[in-house]
Amino acid sequence: MARIHPNPPHLSKFKTRISPLLRLPLVRELILLPATLTGKRRSNKTFDYGVFQPSGVRQLGQHSLYVENLDRAIAWYERAAGLVLARRAAPEPHPFAPGTVLHCAYLSASDQPECLVLIERRNARNQVVETSDRGFFHIAFELAAGQTTFALAQQLRAQGYFVSYGPVKHNNAPGGDGETGGNVALYVYDADGHNIEFFYDMDTIENYRQRYGTRKGTERSGWTSATPQA
Amino acid sequence: MAASSLISTAGPVRAARLQHTVFYVRDMDESREFYESVFDLQFSAKNHPDSSAAMRLSANTMNFFSFGHYHHDICLVTNPNVQLDHDEFLYFSMQLNPDTLPLAELRTRLQRRGVAVREGSVLKSRTLMPGQAAIHFPDPNGHWLEVLG
Repeated sequence: MARIHPNPPHLSKFKTRISPLLRLPLVRELILLPATLTGKRRSNKTFDYGVFQPSGVRQLGQHSLYVENLDRAIAWYERAAGLVLARRAAPEPHPFAPGTVLHCAYLSASDQPECLVLIERRNARNQVVETSDRGFFHIAFELAAGQTTFALAQQLRAQGYFVSYGPVKHNNAPGGDGETGGNVALYVYDADGHNIEFFYDMDTIENYRQRYGTRKGTERSGWTSATPQA
Repeated sequence: MAASSLISTAGPVRAARLQHTVFYVRDMDESREFYESVFDLQFSAKNHPDSSAAMRLSANTMNFFSFGHYHHDICLVTNPNVQLDHDEFLYFSMQLNPDTLPLAELRTRLQRRGVAVREGSVLKSRTLMPGQAAIHFPDPNGHWLEVLG
């Protein structure tokens, strides 16, 4: 049985204590008071711009994560995220780092096979290569239809995991945190300290059109010449 | 929002799919130009420390991009306190929309930019669907992208 680390030791408790207060508009206004007084807030506005053309990409296919203990990481994603181990691969050479060997495990979500590959690296002396937290801020998994991050928070806390932020809706509606996206998000650190988001109910381009019609962000009130063009 | 009204009672909660990635970049303008020009991604939102309390606490500046349905699918982040490295992940992959960006057109765009393209998937153990092709190449930050066509 793999050892499971429910809480990474390096997690900042300070910001975690403050972050629930971001639901309160007064707290957000106090934090942003210097930028409000100097006028920077308006020229660097947190803002939705709208999307009106198709892109060349359909969806994310797979994300890799470096881990320091493959068994421990697999156990975390099985237990906390409900992913299923699809297979372990035979060790293979690192494609860009000669002498480093990769031990990979592919995991599937309920609607997306092998969407996550966990990779334990070993150097030429067969020592595990350390991971970092300076590649991405977070990666995000969408929950199955009908499931919520409120229920997931209860489930994670009952298992002893530490929810670092949320559940909170990323918008300016009452109870929201003033961010963009509309997703009701929950953040938790995995066994290697990677920041993982789970969410449901993200805004779509149709939501934007219902609110603003065909007006692009630059055509709505609040846009300034200092704002980059959409 | 009333949390109690949203709690599902339908068994264990689990992830359905990977949806977005929010990764660090060295230069926002350079990275934005790359992702918009190469993949036709649409800039959908900006979160800035001058106008977002959460960004003020984290010191993040975020530019969001949509694939065309959700608010965001990829987000570029700069943070003065983070020295980007490549020890957190090896790559991420994207599935092209063949109706809007065939793999051949992507190759042409990359060739024009002088981006060296490697054939196949990043990992030898990666499983591709029948008829699926893969290439991989670095973005301006040295993040490896695997693209499936």
